[in-house]
Amino acid sequence: MVKSVPLVAKAAAVVLLAFLALYMLVPIIVVAGASLSESRFLAFPPTGLSLEWYVVALTSDVYLGPLQTSLLIAVVAAVIAATLGTAAALAVTRFPLPFSGAIQSFLLSPLIVPTIIMGIGTLTLVSVIGQGPDLWVLVVVHAVLGIPYVMRTVTGVMARSDRFTEEAARTLGAGTWSRYRFVVLPMARPGIVAGAFFAFNISFDDAVIALFLRTPQLETLPIAIYGRLEFSTDPSVAAVSTLMVLITVVTMIALEKAIGLGKAFV
Amino acid sequence: MTISRREPWLLLLPAVALLALGFLTPVVGMLVSSVIAPEGGGVTLSNFERLFGSEYYLGAAERSLRLSLIQTALAVILATPIAYIMSRATSWVRTAVLVVVILPLLTSVVVRTFGWVVLMGPAGALSSLPGIELLGAGSQGLLGTEAGVVIAMVQVLLPFAVLTILGVMSSVKQELEEASRMLGANFWRTLRHVVIPLSLPGIASGATLVFALSVSSFITPRLVGGVQLPVLAGTIYVDSTVGLDWPFAAAQSVLLFAGVILVIAATLRLGKVDR
Repeated sequence: MVKSVPLVAKAAAVVLLAFLALYMLVPIIVVAGASLSESRFLAFPPTGLSLEWYVVALTSDVYLGPLQTSLLIAVVAAVIAATLGTAAALAVTRFPLPFSGAIQSFLLSPLIVPTIIMGIGTLTLVSVIGQGPDLWVLVVVHAVLGIPYVMRTVTGVMARSDRFTEEAARTLGAGTWSRYRFVVLPMARPGIVAGAFFAFNISFDDAVIALFLRTPQLETLPIAIYGRLEFSTDPSVAAVSTLMVLITVVTMIALEKAIGLGKAFV
Repeated sequence: MTISRREPWLLLLPAVALLALGFLTPVVGMLVSSVIAPEGGGVTLSNFERLFGSEYYLGAAERSLRLSLIQTALAVILATPIAYIMSRATSWVRTAVLVVVILPLLTSVVVRTFGWVVLMGPAGALSSLPGIELLGAGSQGLLGTEAGVVIAMVQVLLPFAVLTILGVMSSVKQELEEASRMLGANFWRTLRHVVIPLSLPGIASGATLVFALSVSSFITPRLVGGVQLPVLAGTIYVDSTVGLDWPFAAAQSVLLFAGVILVIAATLRLGKVDR
């Protein structure tokens, strides 16, 4: 029999979780609340209730252009990271390779190198040998940031899968294409979906690399918001921030429907 | 058979090539550029001499280190019991807590900091709490104070700590706790002598990750702390994008990177000694 957890510990747990919910969600709630305000100034609690700042945000070029840029970069970076990261993960999990540990460490190393160092490094490089940053430079760096996440989720899934299914397919005469199409990729699918989800969100939320590489023609949504925050402004910046959160919530729901949140995160 | 021998390398090649181009080249190039002399291309330490001779930059580095240590300690102290509760809770509690932790994690740091700026401003809800002056709040509320930076940063860092520690905590077998309880140890003693020691690798790697993220953050310190509280990551950003002094910014990055590597190495050693 398990002895029970003392009452005081249970009470402490409830208090801690309540504090956690408040602490984690309050900044987001404040932003969402401020976006609904009627007043011309940022305030929380909001005065009055209106959606007019959403109309302002969605009809002005200040945010619409950056929103399109952000979505384009995030989708392309996630597709590249998911493709290359999955291929690499399938190599290290299914084949005995020399230097396998070193190769994996290299592919995971963007996780431990501070993004600020990648930001200044890339800025210096493209300015010295190229014509400065453009959209594709940002896509490449975001894809690099996403690859470790895809590697981790796909290797995790493959480590738990049955290695002999592929062997059976091969013995039964399946060619390379059929093996991947009908056996390997379906097995890896939950890992690929979770990895692509992370890669999309990392790119969509990134402000560090995007700040270093920003030019008048290259402004992502977090940078547009950051730029407005340095001066005090009207609640349209809160409205567009809330839209960012909503886009994240939509991707979370899609992930939950596709493979389940618990599987993706733990 | 030749096909299958080439297969893994063909799978690996694109990812390795992209990382070599988009990661290794810029990072190594930047680190090297910190010691290249502007004319002639010889080796020079002048950027480092300037860095270590400047009170302003040393002060920023000291603030970075101090705040990161405080933030890491707070994040780990909060995250450990939360991860324990999650690993032992019923499935719906676990999912609910997971959502509470993940939603902010997936929200841009800029947006979350925005929320804190509104809350901590002179008219913000947080600034009118009784006793807030004890944290250094003045006429600008908590904006421009180190306490404000720490409060906002720990919220940013906490999800990383919780998820890392949770991974290890979930794998600590519940049977071990039961055994400890049956042998007469009470709940707290079991936590202290069974659960915490077995979770140490996870706590250590959570602390490393949080420290690395913390020391390289500049958006939250800049928006909450303002220009009067510079941190090293912030001076790197300003010197490279506004001052366009890349070699000097690179020298500061070397210092920051060295700090991160030292902490990772120390944690790895600690993990080995423990086993």
